[in-house]
Amino acid sequence: MPALNGFLWLLLCWLAGELIVYYTGIPISSGVIGMLLLGGALAINGGVPDSVAAAAQPLIAMLAMLIMPGVTGVFFMIDELAGQWTAIMLSLVVGTLLSVFTTLWLLKRLMQDDHAE
Amino acid sequence: MLSEALLERLTATPLFAVALTLAAYLVAMALLKRLGRPPWLPAILLATVLLTGALVLTGVDYTAYQDGARWLTVLLGPATVALGMPLYQLLPRIRQLWRPLAVCLPVSAVMAIVYALGLAWLMGAPPEIIASLAAKSVTAPIAMGIAEQIGGNVSLLLGALLITGVAAIAFVSLVARLMDITDERLIGFALGVNGHALGTVRAFEIGPTAGAFASLGMSLTGIFTALLLPLAWQLLS
Repeated sequence: MPALNGFLWLLLCWLAGELIVYYTGIPISSGVIGMLLLGGALAINGGVPDSVAAAAQPLIAMLAMLIMPGVTGVFFMIDELAGQWTAIMLSLVVGTLLSVFTTLWLLKRLMQDDHAE
Repeated sequence: MLSEALLERLTATPLFAVALTLAAYLVAMALLKRLGRPPWLPAILLATVLLTGALVLTGVDYTAYQDGARWLTVLLGPATVALGMPLYQLLPRIRQLWRPLAVCLPVSAVMAIVYALGLAWLMGAPPEIIASLAAKSVTAPIAMGIAEQIGGNVSLLLGALLITGVAAIAFVSLVARLMDITDERLIGFALGVNGHALGTVRAFEIGPTAGAFASLGMSLTGIFTALLLPLAWQLLS
């Protein structure tokens, strides 16, 4: 049962994240703390054990399905958000255009500087 | 529409909600394979449109569905932790590129938030909507945690993620052409930072290098935003 073994490790990392949030009150989600703990543990271990890979891979592959119930909710909010849609769409689309431009412009300059050295 | 009594029986356990979700997901995947996976139609969009249709047709109330689907969404916790594995696998690349990353990542991740929230604020969006849009460039499982921390609506956030991902895919190829950028590393990184998982899927279609850089950009943006945004939010409000 390597996958179950690995799943328990994922749950233990998540639980450690919950404990850290509970005792410190830091505003970070327990899943993210668990993710950093797992990354750190794998770095210390120097590799990914088969059991962890067996549990992590299918979960990552299933992520799109796991968020489906949440995404569906937005279709049931359409009326509730009437009057706000222009602001929402515009800030998302124009905001993304601006941030894409910023990233590419910065990267182009930084990578060129790297070559110049 | 199913009869009231039958609906009551079906929604008494989470199984019906879970079956609907699995069915919509698998049907969407099969349909996309037939359609040749067009880049403007993300799998998650088609899957949720099908799921919404099924809910409307059967007459299941969204809150009843959501209750049942909690049986699936509880797995988001361990699935987020599981992202530590690809993160660990990216470490050599992070070490190799730490200098451009250290400058570009914080600026890009912060500006992605500032531009969108600034525009929403200028257009008079109420605070709850602004909080829901804040994590728009972060990969879904991490973004959901952020929205819960800062009091945003998770469903609206996920809708915003979809729009952002599709827009990022279109704009990265457009802006790269305008700026005469052909380097797969730059294009991939921009896709991951601005377009999260949707951008990363697109980057892997361009090539393995673009895909690897997109994964890097997506993971680091997610971590950076998750660590700093809720704190900044608390300090500002």
